[in-house]
Amino acid sequence: MILDYICDVSTLASLPSPLDLVELPYMRTALAELTLLAVAGGLLGAWIVLRRLAFFAHAVGTATFPGLVIADATGFSATVAGLAVALGYASGVERAGRSGRDPGDAATALALVAALGIGIVLASDVFESGAAVDRLLFGTALGLGGEDLWVAAGAAALALAGTALLGRAWTAAGFDAGGAPALGLPAHAADLALLVLIAVAAVAALPAVGALLVASLFVVPAAVARLLTESVGGLLGASVATAVVQGALGLYASLWLDVPPGPAVAVAGASLYALVAVATATRSTGGRPTALEAT
Amino acid sequence: MSGPAAGGATGGERGANGTAVRVHDLSLAYGGGPVLEGVDFSLAAGESLCVLGPNGGGKTTLLRALTGELAALRGSADVAGRPAYLAQTERTRLDFPVSALDVALMGSLANGRWWLPARRSDRAAARAALARVGLEDRAGVRFGELSGGQRQRVLLARALVQDAAVLLLDEPLAGVDPASAERIATLFAELRDEGRTLLVSTHDVDSARDFDRVLCLNRRQVAFGEPASVLTRTALEQTYGSEIVVLEDEGGAGPVRAIAVQHHAH
Repeated sequence: MILDYICDVSTLASLPSPLDLVELPYMRTALAELTLLAVAGGLLGAWIVLRRLAFFAHAVGTATFPGLVIADATGFSATVAGLAVALGYASGVERAGRSGRDPGDAATALALVAALGIGIVLASDVFESGAAVDRLLFGTALGLGGEDLWVAAGAAALALAGTALLGRAWTAAGFDAGGAPALGLPAHAADLALLVLIAVAAVAALPAVGALLVASLFVVPAAVARLLTESVGGLLGASVATAVVQGALGLYASLWLDVPPGPAVAVAGASLYALVAVATATRSTGGRPTALEAT
Repeated sequence: MSGPAAGGATGGERGANGTAVRVHDLSLAYGGGPVLEGVDFSLAAGESLCVLGPNGGGKTTLLRALTGELAALRGSADVAGRPAYLAQTERTRLDFPVSALDVALMGSLANGRWWLPARRSDRAAARAALARVGLEDRAGVRFGELSGGQRQRVLLARALVQDAAVLLLDEPLAGVDPASAERIATLFAELRDEGRTLLVSTHDVDSARDFDRVLCLNRRQVAFGEPASVLTRTALEQTYGSEIVVLEDEGGAGPVRAIAVQHHAH
């Protein structure tokens, strides 16, 4: 359907005014939502990239999908259902990691595929609510309301508090896991707190970007920022800034092309990443990770 | 099991009777059967210990038990205060966006207030520690861009900021350039003079002569004592098996000069 738009010259001619983002009430809500999520996603994304949790962040979002389908069909709160699944998934990963049996990429991939498959089967054959699948997987800008904003604000506040209180411990434990206990750091508790914060923030992002595109808010901005900075503080700041820009660009594109904001934000983030990767590749990397390693 | 003494205590702390490290009938495992058994020794404050053994002999395992990271299967491992631990540098993440100063500053987390931002005095201590290891002009350089020897010195600076009474060092001279090795050896001597206790694991059998005590491990405790009584052909052959090459043997049960040939370079 995007192809139809691109072929339609009148669509290109009717490029919306950027002011619509703040003047149209539903766009203003969506912009506020994406900006709050940019704070949560940008900050936590920096830790996700540093601690190599990108695949976890992607999986914890997608794992909520069957829960969302059930909640949608039964009228149960999507936030509560998503939170239950995400926290369950996070605690399972933490327990497996603590016992020395890292679930590994293969198990994560399996959980991802199973969640998607079960969700689709539930939606199409059990609840026959197939129409909701697009919205649950890719989010919506139109349906966002006050409750979503509060949840996103809560996630942003938690990410800020977590970064302020645990940032030094996350950095030291991530840099030298063997040395962390000798520094008296509660490394296991700090790691569990990070997984829980990611799970909570992923659930907060579900209404806007959907179960499948959570990683676009939590991984892409930090990966872009990682190409640009050489300090943890710089990474946190650049990651939030990138996430805000990515959200505004994506929302504008979704207004213009009338697509859900999730895919538009994802494409905006991928484009930003490509631009920055090409721009920085021409400089000497000076030991900085190359574009591929940064993810 | 009683782990290292808990609490936020930092430097200067000593055991009541001057004992800095006490290991009693210690056995360790990673989930399965024991990988190290029957370790039993103690060190007074200010003593230095060289830990010898082949790869897989249990050197790192013992140090991890002393940090409290690994629980004892049997017996006990007690350390006065919270020890500083220098893992082999390949266990650190070289891609991390942290500078030499950032890493030295991590030592101040051991003050027990890890949730608070670093204070001005912490930064001053980190800069002083970098100066002491001769890297004050490299403070802003990313850790991963430093040479192996410089990285080891930065980790030593972190231990200095931590101001621990006991330092555990896992092969601190592996892959280190001669200039850094000399600097590190000088620092070790200074730390001993300050009354700190050093446990150093190494493959360098010859360097063990310079320590107060030597501990030989090969999945169990083979020998412990003064270098002159431990570095014998019998003990070294029990420790290293066919990996040992004796260079100089004065005959009888006296000390020998030898090198351990590692079959798995790393």
